[in-house]
Amino acid sequence: MNRFFSDIKKYASYIRYATKSDLQAEVANSYLNWLWWILEPLCFMGIYAFIFSMFSSSKVAYLTAFIFLGITIWEFFNKLLTVSVNLVRSNKPIVSKIYLPKYVLLLEKMLLNGFKTAINFAIVILLMVIYRVPLTLQMLWALPVLLSFIIFTFGICTIFLHFGVYVEDLNNATKIGLRLVFYTAGVFYNLSDKVASSVGYWLLRLNPIAMYINDMRNTLLYGEAPNFLWLGLWTAVGIVLSIGGILMVQKNENNYVKVL
Amino acid sequence: MLETAIHIENLHVSYKEIGSYSIKRMLLHGKKKQEKAFHALKGISFDVPQGEILGIIGKNGSGKSTLLNTVGGVFSADSGVIDLGGRRVSLLSIGVGFQKNISGRENIMLNGLLLGFTEQQIREKLPEIIEFSELGEFIDKPVKTYSKGMYSKLAFSITAFLETDIILIDEILSVGDEHFKKKSAKKMKELISDENRTVLIVSHSISTLQQLCTRVLWLHDGTIKMLGDTKEVLAAYQQFM
Repeated sequence: MNRFFSDIKKYASYIRYATKSDLQAEVANSYLNWLWWILEPLCFMGIYAFIFSMFSSSKVAYLTAFIFLGITIWEFFNKLLTVSVNLVRSNKPIVSKIYLPKYVLLLEKMLLNGFKTAINFAIVILLMVIYRVPLTLQMLWALPVLLSFIIFTFGICTIFLHFGVYVEDLNNATKIGLRLVFYTAGVFYNLSDKVASSVGYWLLRLNPIAMYINDMRNTLLYGEAPNFLWLGLWTAVGIVLSIGGILMVQKNENNYVKVL
Repeated sequence: MLETAIHIENLHVSYKEIGSYSIKRMLLHGKKKQEKAFHALKGISFDVPQGEILGIIGKNGSGKSTLLNTVGGVFSADSGVIDLGGRRVSLLSIGVGFQKNISGRENIMLNGLLLGFTEQQIREKLPEIIEFSELGEFIDKPVKTYSKGMYSKLAFSITAFLETDIILIDEILSVGDEHFKKKSAKKMKELISDENRTVLIVSHSISTLQQLCTRVLWLHDGTIKMLGDTKEVLAAYQQFM
């Protein structure tokens, strides 16, 4: 693990600069440039608010913020896991010519998506102000929940980064798996209301994304504490996945290029 | 006695049992894709003293590029020892990690960081790289607007201003128009000729190796056929071919 931390230190400048370049590249061809990073989530928020106020009979408090928070958490996980599967393959020109710790590629993508997620969170805060969501001390629990979510996402992405090199069609299987996680995560609805109570109960505990979304909503919008037992369990799983993933990548990364 | 810069001992590199699998294939046929074993390097050993320019020659598939990639850390060895005594090593190649939507200047930074240089070191080299590349005001335009020649000039300029202790070269790089070709070839010779720098050059060009190398290693089917004086090895190789 010491090697992992020294790699982060060594490649910190590259990660930062590559993230900046990726962000610049994304907006280089558009007239509105960086405004898109704000306009895109704002537009999506408007669409979701419209659709769900028109067609949903749900009586969820702060509905727009509720949905937008779900989407923010889901998008971060979804985009990173999708990109991780092909991360080494899509960087073949680099990895076949130079040694680079492969999780550096993942950390760069995490920083890139983290930047966009931060904009989304700023919009969530704006919505909370508009809704006049009461300020509570429980809101502070959102930070450890977020940290646990990031560790879990990193852990699972390193595992997929590794197997994505060896399993040709892992991308297809991942898409199917992600659909299943998405529909059982309660991104657009409250799991405990919409699914038969015992199913909803277990989904909120056994689907980590459902748990993270629910905990973020509870802490930020409803002044409730997270479910500490399951948050602790999934944090432990995230740490184990991260350490396992890092060691697996370190052990095998110099063989990846032989397979590509 | 000269200090050893590269120590290689009983180095084995193979591609056996390393292949990609398919979930679909495993579900339909209940087995993994069969991979043919390929032993690229079969227990080679040699030392390179500091400051030496060692040429590597051999027919296609003899293991030359595998050797460079393994010494450069891109591949891992199955077994054996590669000891560089903590020296910095770089595998020279054109256009590592170019991001086409950003400017040439930013790409220089990105490439330099990727190659392990600090931001400060790159900023110090930046004027030299830009001047050598002859890109003028294009250096601040997106790389996607560059012609093929301009792209190569930028890539070469970044590559040529590397200063690592050990340089691994897979074919001598000379790019661009006639004028730039001469200039880049001259720069490459300067880079190689530094007496403290140890260089491994893979080339099919007998004249290039004759001109530059102090010794030549002849690889044949993953083993060392001959290692020694440039003239002797090249003569034997030409006779063999």
